[in-house]
Amino acid sequence: MRLDFAKKAVALGLGLALLAGCGGTEQAPDGPVELSFWAWAPDIDKVVDKWNADHPDVKVVVSKQAQGDDLVTKLLTSAKGGNPPDLAQVEFQALPTLVSNDVLADISEGAGAARDKFAPGIWDQVTLGGSGVYAVPQDSGPMMFYYRADLFEQYGLKVPTTWDEYAQTARDLRAKASDKFLGTFSSNDPGWFAGLVQQAGGSWWSVDGDAWKVSVDDAATRKVAGYWSGLVAEGVVDKSPMYTPEWNKALNDGTQIGWLSAVWAPGVLKGNAESTSGKWAMAPMPQWDASAPRTGNWGGSTTAVTSGSKKQKAATEFAVWLNTDPTAVEALVTESAIYPAATSAQEALTKPPAFFPNQPDFYTQAAKIAATSSGFTWGPNVNVTYTAYKNAMGEAITAGADLAPALTKMQTATVDDMKANGFTVSG
Amino acid sequence: MSAVLVEDRAVTPTPRARSVASALGALPTFVLLLGAAYCLFPVAWVLVAATKNSGQLFSTTTFSLGSSLFANLAELFGYRDGLFWQWVANSALYAGVGALLSAALSGVTGYALAKYSFRGRALIFNALIAGVLVPGVVLAIPQYLLMSKVGLTDTYLSVLLPSVVSPYGIYLARIYAAAAVPEDVVEAARTDGASEVRILGSIALPMMVPGLVTVFLFQFVSIWNNFMLPFIMLGDDEKFPVTLGLYTLLNQGNTTPALYTLVVTGSLVSVLPLIALFLTLQRYWRIDLLSGAVKA
Amino acid sequence: MTSIRMSGRGGAAPKVAPYAFVAPAVVLFVLLFALPIGYTVYLSLFRTEVKGLGLGRGSRSEVFVGLDNYVRAITDAELGAGALRVLGYGAILVPTMLGLALVFALLLDEDRVRARGFSRIAIFLPYAIPGVIASLLWGFLYLPATSPFNQLLAELSLPGVNLLSPTGIYFALANIAVWGGVGYNMVVLYTALRSIPRDLYEAARIDGCSPWQVAVRIKIPLLAPALVLTSLFSIIATLQVFAEPMTLAPLTNSLSRTWTPLMKVYQDAFGRGDIYSAAATSVLIAVVMFAISFSLLRVTRSRAFGGER
Repeated sequence: MRLDFAKKAVALGLGLALLAGCGGTEQAPDGPVELSFWAWAPDIDKVVDKWNADHPDVKVVVSKQAQGDDLVTKLLTSAKGGNPPDLAQVEFQALPTLVSNDVLADISEGAGAARDKFAPGIWDQVTLGGSGVYAVPQDSGPMMFYYRADLFEQYGLKVPTTWDEYAQTARDLRAKASDKFLGTFSSNDPGWFAGLVQQAGGSWWSVDGDAWKVSVDDAATRKVAGYWSGLVAEGVVDKSPMYTPEWNKALNDGTQIGWLSAVWAPGVLKGNAESTSGKWAMAPMPQWDASAPRTGNWGGSTTAVTSGSKKQKAATEFAVWLNTDPTAVEALVTESAIYPAATSAQEALTKPPAFFPNQPDFYTQAAKIAATSSGFTWGPNVNVTYTAYKNAMGEAITAGADLAPALTKMQTATVDDMKANGFTVSG
Repeated sequence: MSAVLVEDRAVTPTPRARSVASALGALPTFVLLLGAAYCLFPVAWVLVAATKNSGQLFSTTTFSLGSSLFANLAELFGYRDGLFWQWVANSALYAGVGALLSAALSGVTGYALAKYSFRGRALIFNALIAGVLVPGVVLAIPQYLLMSKVGLTDTYLSVLLPSVVSPYGIYLARIYAAAAVPEDVVEAARTDGASEVRILGSIALPMMVPGLVTVFLFQFVSIWNNFMLPFIMLGDDEKFPVTLGLYTLLNQGNTTPALYTLVVTGSLVSVLPLIALFLTLQRYWRIDLLSGAVKA
Repeated sequence: MTSIRMSGRGGAAPKVAPYAFVAPAVVLFVLLFALPIGYTVYLSLFRTEVKGLGLGRGSRSEVFVGLDNYVRAITDAELGAGALRVLGYGAILVPTMLGLALVFALLLDEDRVRARGFSRIAIFLPYAIPGVIASLLWGFLYLPATSPFNQLLAELSLPGVNLLSPTGIYFALANIAVWGGVGYNMVVLYTALRSIPRDLYEAARIDGCSPWQVAVRIKIPLLAPALVLTSLFSIIATLQVFAEPMTLAPLTNSLSRTWTPLMKVYQDAFGRGDIYSAAATSVLIAVVMFAISFSLLRVTRSRAFGGER
């Protein structure tokens, strides 16, 4: 009742403005179709230009937005308001949230055939384990270990292959250079921690019939948290967040001589610490079980079509083109510096990133590592878990305490939120 | 008694009192300059940081000048075919037009609230003031949802319209009108048969100009700096104001480095128009006019 | 009509003109503020309900829950803790900022003080710097590794300070707000000072009052309404503190994403996608702020509003 009144009053007041010609831009049905595309990958507009050159009838207009989480916020709001963009770049972990809020369209009809272009583990993430297809994978982020080869040599350090060795290397480094760290435990990067958990075989969400099962504090996660608790307590790794000016400085001046990161790290290193070009090297992640190497994923995104779009067919066509067409994917790699999700494109990468001239087989190794990625099911409220991570881990670190209680808080926050929203949560 | 004493001292100050006074004379200036230094210090940081390339930004000592000011500017202006200028132009449009309308609206409303007594005056005034009690972050979503009902989201108007109403501006304008527009001048004009609109337009508003300039300035700055409203309302990055544009450069996600040098240089460039505006309006900002008007 | 008007003062004011003059502001206010506020209240009485896994179409629906969201907000420990943190922050911020603003305004009003034009612009300048940028640059200045203060302390072989520690953070945040807001309040107070008739000072001066006495005995009492107003607006801004802690949070372990009540609202609305409980919390915040403002004005006898009730 009240809402209806609200609608009418606003319509009355602002209708005048509409008449003045400032309103929406409805398309003539027979003119060229225009698709709006929200994305944050750098220079993705240059890739889109290639599509526009070949498709005069379907013009894609890129609007660059702030990164993932902010974009999810805007997508949810715009979908509620009934006018989302036609296409959006969406991170893997945000897909269930957006699907659950009915923001994304099921594009299985137009995109289902693209399935064999991707590794099964990647494709499962866009189907959410069901029959629908909610996005086309764009890039993935298999995790790897990056280290300053020159400083490793200087201090006589060996590249750690297991987590035990990683801990020992961290100690050895502190003993030789008390102002340096092998890495940092970041309370600000839940995606990074989730990647480490994936590697250890953890699973935070799973589907059990018609119910969700949440196990953010499962054994694997406890193992990872316990390991880092030890290193932080011992003081052999840093405990400041990543992606701060301080961290950038530490990468630049060699205070941090290692980084547990993902395949896209060269771009970040180049942007943040250009003077260290050619000094870094990449190796597989340290392992829990050296005989069965695994890795997790950090980052990675997709191209999704919104359910509110009136041009879903054209949009789906574009999403498939962007992520499977050889020229498009090649442009994504060269212009936007992403690691393509499409398997054929991964194989086509032969030259190392410009920042790693010293490692000519960078992408061959990367592909091998990517093949050891663990699968992972994301839940419908990853944001809640991530926020709980930031709050609880930050608190635990400042208190100098064990990280394990933080996991309990993450678990409780996640389950409480799902229950409050009426999800059926089992276990 | 005290008056006598004081008067005595005032007429023939002792040498000692005079020296204390002159020592104190430098102190106020010093305190004020100290305040200015505190406020300018981070601005100086931006100025220096804008001359550094990203390597220098994270390796050299804070106040050593870098070598890349022009390279940074060229990169900023070249970013996506000069999109930065589009953002600056958008900000100027939102803030300029918004603040102008806001000052006009505040002037008219403030005058009416100060100079007429009418039924509902207190209610209207209190309701307007209460408007500031609701945080902008909270209002943004309902405003968005209501705007989208009439198809106004992602338009210039969606950012412009909510910026026009400024409770604080109305309050200030009311204070000004009360002090600067003498009752007898209004009455005299009425006696001469001037219409109410004419009294407002040609007598009251001109007298209120210094106050309205202040309202304009405050509102200009607050629209220029507003983040939440455009963040929610706008999807098309060609309509972004400069704050939102710089924010997208800063928050590119984990897989892409933040473009610190562009953001720092962009911050510097985007603050310059505001400084220029202050310096220009400084002239009109002679608030003493007000007391003159009261006396007249 | 003119002849009637001529005869008297108060009673003869025009009937229609004032309504016509306030109409545009009222209409815009109702559409752009009152309606969204009403809508917020409306939303606060609902929540979404999910069926099953919540992954199919239309598996979410809006259900009426009455005051449930309010009950949850009031009993939320994190919200209460956030309110306490904001009180601590405000206790540092408001007196410091207004004290400095008052001192600067009084100094600007002294004819003997030099460099007034420059200082006025310089002190007001930070107000022009967007919060997003201010937090970024203060972040650089605070972080131990990039801070020039720590570089200086290191030169003097003194231990560094970490303003981003759990207690330091209160001062770090208050400093950003003082820096950004002192100029604005200074200008408001200065403006009020300039509207005081000069003759009053002249009289005092002839009586032999020192500038200090003039300031304390005449200017500050006359500034009371403006001081009440700036305090009120500062307190409101304090309770609404959001942008600074939000942008500093990624730099440190000391700031949670729900450090202030408004950050909690933001997390609820945007992080959890639950605009219903966000709406309830924000209505609560607005009510608390209204209560504070109202009692403040009561205590000071509505002087700030020119005797208006």
